[in-house]
Amino acid sequence: MALISTRSLTKRYGSSVTALDALTLDVEPGIIGLVGANGAGKSTLLKILLGLLKPTSGSATVMEMDVATRGPEIRQYVGYLPEHDCLPPDVSATDFVSHMGRMAGLPPAAARERTAEVLRHVGLYEERYRPIGGYSTGMKQRVKLAQAIVHDPKLLLLDEPTNGLDPAGRDEMLDLVHRTGTEFGIATVVASHLLGEIERVCTFLLAIDAGKLLQSAPISSFVERTGTLGVEVEEGADALAERLVAAGLTARADGRSVLVDCPDERPYDIVRDAIDEMGLSLTRLEQRRHRLEDLFRTEAPSDDAA
Amino acid sequence: MTRREAAVAPRESATGAIYDLGYQGYDGPRLGRRAAVATLFWASLRAAFGLGRSGRSKLVPWGLTAIMLVPAAVAGAIQAIAPGGLSPFNYDNYLWDLQPILALFVAAQAPELVSSDQRNKVLSLYFSHALARSDYALAKFGAMAASLFIVALSPLLVILFASILASSDVTAAVGDQLGNLPQILLAPLIYAIPLAALGMAIASFTPRRAYATGAIIAVFLVTAAVGGILSEAGRGRMSQVAPLLNPFVLLDGTRNWLVGKSIPDSPVSAANLELAVFGALTAAFTLIGIAAVLWRYRRIAA
Repeated sequence: MALISTRSLTKRYGSSVTALDALTLDVEPGIIGLVGANGAGKSTLLKILLGLLKPTSGSATVMEMDVATRGPEIRQYVGYLPEHDCLPPDVSATDFVSHMGRMAGLPPAAARERTAEVLRHVGLYEERYRPIGGYSTGMKQRVKLAQAIVHDPKLLLLDEPTNGLDPAGRDEMLDLVHRTGTEFGIATVVASHLLGEIERVCTFLLAIDAGKLLQSAPISSFVERTGTLGVEVEEGADALAERLVAAGLTARADGRSVLVDCPDERPYDIVRDAIDEMGLSLTRLEQRRHRLEDLFRTEAPSDDAA
Repeated sequence: MTRREAAVAPRESATGAIYDLGYQGYDGPRLGRRAAVATLFWASLRAAFGLGRSGRSKLVPWGLTAIMLVPAAVAGAIQAIAPGGLSPFNYDNYLWDLQPILALFVAAQAPELVSSDQRNKVLSLYFSHALARSDYALAKFGAMAASLFIVALSPLLVILFASILASSDVTAAVGDQLGNLPQILLAPLIYAIPLAALGMAIASFTPRRAYATGAIIAVFLVTAAVGGILSEAGRGRMSQVAPLLNPFVLLDGTRNWLVGKSIPDSPVSAANLELAVFGALTAAFTLIGIAAVLWRYRRIAA
C-alpha cells in the first residue's frame, strides 16, 4: 500500500513563488526523511498532505485517501508536529494534549489515559501539570510530539522536530523519533534541512529542491560503497597519485588522500607495492561511501531557490 | 522494564532524559468530527467563564456576571420586604438597562475565545485534526452565544424565583409566572446570538486580544453615540430612525416584536416602524457577522 503518493502536485503562492513544481512521488511505510534546503517545499508538501493547504494543481493521496475530498477522515489517523510554536502558554501539558486527543476523536477517558502515556513516553513528568508558558524549548518540543502521537496515528508528519534544541536535546528527540517509528510501527515523515539527522533516523530518503523531486530511494543506497578506495598517507599523496596513474589506475590526490577507482581486486596490490617502494607511511586505507551531502553538492545548484 | 518501575525512574540530568517506557497502540473508537466539535464547544464555553484556568481569567467573566445579577437581587429583596411593590426591573427592561454589562462581556470574552489560538498558532493543530475550518468557527461562535445566554438568563431567573418566593401563595405565583417563561428564555437568546455574531466577527480578525476588545467596545460606543447624536440633531423621520444604528436598539425592537412589551426609555416605539423591521435588521447583522467569521477562518493561514 502506498502510504503517500502525489501526482504532478503543484503549489504556487501568488504568481511568482512556486513551492512545489509538478511533484510526483510514491512512498511506502517506514521512516521517511524529507530533506531539502529552507524553502525547498518541505512544509508546503506536509501541509497539503494534511489538507491545511490546497494544491494549485495535481493530486495527492494519503493511505489511499484523496486529500482533496477525505481530509477530515485522513486527519483522524495523522499526527502533525508543526515547525513553528503552536502551544498555548496558559494551559498545562496534560490539559492541552488531552484536549488535542479529543480533537482527534478520542473518547474522554481514552484521551486522559493516552495523554498520561504519551507524556511519560516523551519524558515529561511532574512538570506536565504546570502551564506550558514556563517550559524550556526542549520541553515544548516534547509536548508537540506528544500531541502528535496521542491519538495513535498511522502516519506521523514531523516538520523540523529538532528545531531550536541544543545538541543533547537533538539527540534525545532523534532517538524518540526513531523509536516512535520503529518500535511503535508508526509510519513517519521527518522533514529536515539537516542531512545528518535524516541519515541517523530514517530508512528512506526523499530529497526535494525548489519543489522538484531530486532523489527518492532507501538511505542504504546513498551510503553504500562506491567502489572508490581512499588511501591516506602522512605525506607524498601527489607523488603516489602520479605513480598509480603511471601504473594504469585511475587515481587523484585529494588533500592527504589519494582516491583510487576500484572496479576489481587488482588495484589493492598495486597500491600496496607502490607505498612500499616509495617508503610512504600509510595511515588509513578505506572503501569510500557515498554521503548524503554529495547529493546536494553535485545536483542542487543553490539554496535560495524557492 | 515494567511500566510501574518506569514511572519512578529517576531523572538523569537537568534537561531530563527520555525513557523507553513501552508504547501501546489505540484500537478503541474514534468518534470523529462531531465529537471533536462538541468537545471544542464545551471547552470554549468553560474558557468563556475562565473555568479550569487561572484565577485571573475568572475575574472578568465572573465579575461581570455578578454585576449583571446585582439589580435582580436587589429587586428580589425589595419584593421580599414589600411584596407587590413596584420593582424598577422586569423581564422587559432588564437586558436593555444592563446592556453595557453585556457589551463588556462580549468585548472581554470574544477575544478570550479566539485570539489566543491565532496568536499562539494553535490553529494549525486544530485544522490538522478531524475538524473542518468551519467547524472550529461555529463551535467558537456557539460557545460565545451560549455564554452570553447564561449571563443574560441568570438575572431573569433570579427575578422569577424572587417573585415566586415572595408571594403569599406560591402555587398561584408559579401559575402566574408560567406565562412569562417564553419571554424569560427567549429574550436572553435574542440578545445572545446577535451579540456573539458581532463580537466574534470583530475578534476573529486579529490575534491581538487588546485590539479586539478595544474594537468591540468602540463599535458599541460609536454606534450608540452616532445614533444618539443624529437622533438629537436630525429632524422628523431622521431623528426617529437614527437610533437604529445602535445594535442594542435593534435587539430591544426584536424582543419587543417576539416577546413582551415595549419599554418607555427605549427609542423603539419612537421610531414608529413595524417591529418586524427590527427583527429583519437584527437577523441581517447576525448573519453577516457569522458569515464574516466563517470567511475569516476559511482564509486564515494555518
